[in-house]
Amino acid sequence: MLNKTVIKLAIPVAVGALALTGCGGGDSGSGDTVKIAFEGPLSGDNVALGENMQNGVQLAIKQANASGDLGFKLEYVAADDQGLPDKAPTAAQKVIDDPDVKAVVGPAFSGPTNSASPLYAEAGLVTVTPSATNPTLTDEANGFTSLLRAVPNDNMQGKAMGDFFSKKIGAKKVYLIDDKTDYGVGLSKVAEATLKAAGVSVVKKSVPQKTPDYSATAKDVVNSKADGLIYAGYYQDLAPFAKKLSDAGFKGAAISGDGSNDAKFVELAGSASENWYLTCPCTDATVEAGTKKFAEDYQKEFNRAPGTYSAEAYDVANMIIAEIKKAGKDVEREALRDALAKASYKGLTKTFSFEKNGEFKGTDVFVYQVKSGKIAYQGNVNELIG
Amino acid sequence: MSLQEFWDYLVLGLMLGSLYAVIAIGYTLVYGVLQLINFAHSEVFMVGAYGSLIVLTLVDPGANPSMLASIGFVALAMAGSALFGGVTAYGLEKVAYRPLRRRGAPRLIFLITAIGASFFLYNLAGKLFGRDPSTLPEMYKNENVFTIFGAGVNITQLLQFATAVVMMIALDLLVNRTKLGKGIRAVAQDAEVASLMGVDIDKVISRTFIIGGVLGGVAGFLFANLNQVSYTMGFIPGITAFAAAVVGGIGNIRGAMLGGVLIGIVETMTVPLLGDEWRSVSAMVVLILVLMFRPMGILGERVGRAA
Repeated sequence: MLNKTVIKLAIPVAVGALALTGCGGGDSGSGDTVKIAFEGPLSGDNVALGENMQNGVQLAIKQANASGDLGFKLEYVAADDQGLPDKAPTAAQKVIDDPDVKAVVGPAFSGPTNSASPLYAEAGLVTVTPSATNPTLTDEANGFTSLLRAVPNDNMQGKAMGDFFSKKIGAKKVYLIDDKTDYGVGLSKVAEATLKAAGVSVVKKSVPQKTPDYSATAKDVVNSKADGLIYAGYYQDLAPFAKKLSDAGFKGAAISGDGSNDAKFVELAGSASENWYLTCPCTDATVEAGTKKFAEDYQKEFNRAPGTYSAEAYDVANMIIAEIKKAGKDVEREALRDALAKASYKGLTKTFSFEKNGEFKGTDVFVYQVKSGKIAYQGNVNELIG
Repeated sequence: MSLQEFWDYLVLGLMLGSLYAVIAIGYTLVYGVLQLINFAHSEVFMVGAYGSLIVLTLVDPGANPSMLASIGFVALAMAGSALFGGVTAYGLEKVAYRPLRRRGAPRLIFLITAIGASFFLYNLAGKLFGRDPSTLPEMYKNENVFTIFGAGVNITQLLQFATAVVMMIALDLLVNRTKLGKGIRAVAQDAEVASLMGVDIDKVISRTFIIGGVLGGVAGFLFANLNQVSYTMGFIPGITAFAAAVVGGIGNIRGAMLGGVLIGIVETMTVPLLGDEWRSVSAMVVLILVLMFRPMGILGERVGRAA
């Protein structure tokens, strides 16, 4: 009896051990294929933002393969973290265990970046995020040695929101809401500081994601007599909130960040999204001259216009491809990481180069406004506030 | 908080509470007849919301429908949600619970099955309808229709409140005045004796699920109209409504109504007083306080005894 049990247990254990050693052995990569992964929300509530970027990466890879001068084949690997910090380590591990993956675009969101980066750092696998904007991510104390940020962080965006309200709109009292995510809290902190420094009074509240009913919150905004509103969070919560605000009769100026800067916001909120301002460290690929060609290719490939961060993800993927090309397909992960950290790459949207801690060099934030159901590009904040 | 603000939030809380009450009834009814917490009820609610979305997408209200057309669209959407909710609840009972009941499975198995069914349903919905949220097409222009104590009430809120109240009254009558209601109460009091007295237990249970499902489905539509439709929309309102059912006394229909309204008001009042982040906390504090002093809930347990 006992023997039988032992044998029953022993077989799976032995198989498992074999499988593990099999994994550990093949770290050198194989064949003529180099893989580039993207980690972001490919299912779950924020899937639209993830797909925007995934498409950008896939387009870059497809075009690089089609160009014919690579000498190796690029392949795309998807790592779905659902935009959730607790799902990110698993997604990251999957990518790390694939020895052919040389670099990762992403993680897309700040929370997942925070939880996955220790793993990437340990594996020496470089992650270049086109969109994780929480300022603390590049703190050297974190030890996220593999993380490069290809986007101005929330300090820039939060400051831009604050400046825009105090200098352009001329608001007296601003109601500031964060959604309790790493992203929202980081953004609102900086916006609050900027507004206070400019002498604007601030009411700061936290409204967690997935609040079932925004009626009371909207009422509270109206009752506070604020003439400005900042929502630091994502579109799928902003949409119902915007509707309730319009029902409650809020008349002030309202602004949200890049988490809401998506056509889905307008689609979900309908007429309630009208006149909302949206900031983003991203440019509008369909408007800017440099990205027109990209926008056309994207439209042809995916049958829709590029969304928020599509062009940035495309740029980041191309930057990685350029470095792999330079170093050859057999480049070690660590070597590629160091090469990228020192590189300067002129993409379609901006020039990418990094500080020593992996932080992006540059401060450009752009303002958009919803006008007749379209997110209309207004321009660079620094120019708008003059 | 000024007096005016108090009325504002009270009215909002009542609206939300009426919705929780309708969902809570679904939990309570099933508990009454089966002593089972049907955790998949939140998914019935979600499917109901998708039902109304599907119907409205098919008929497409277009821009600025006339008043009569608006009423028609609302009625259609409601019927769609009721149908989807009812069918889902019926199917759930048939597929997930009845086989267990036949084999006399322990209570714990039912609970695990309920949670499993809930996971299955919302992931299926995510697969079928996409994981992005959607909003219901506009069926009418949402304007304030009247003011009560100085608090404006708009069409969405009126629709939500009126529908909830009508459904609750209808259910109360159904349970207390009809033969089916008598059957439900009999099964709730003692299923074995009820069957000896000639009550077809299977039929009563399956109809109870359908009633709960219709209510849950319509609540899903009302909620979608208030917020939006997504495959995970059932979770938070489901848990809150379950708490409401326990607050009122699980198994007790009027208790569920009372509990729902109470939790709705407490949650809404929390927003101006403590802030949004405390709303679920305060709802659960109410639950704990009630259970400390009245472990059976405010109105006590069981459909049979209290209704």
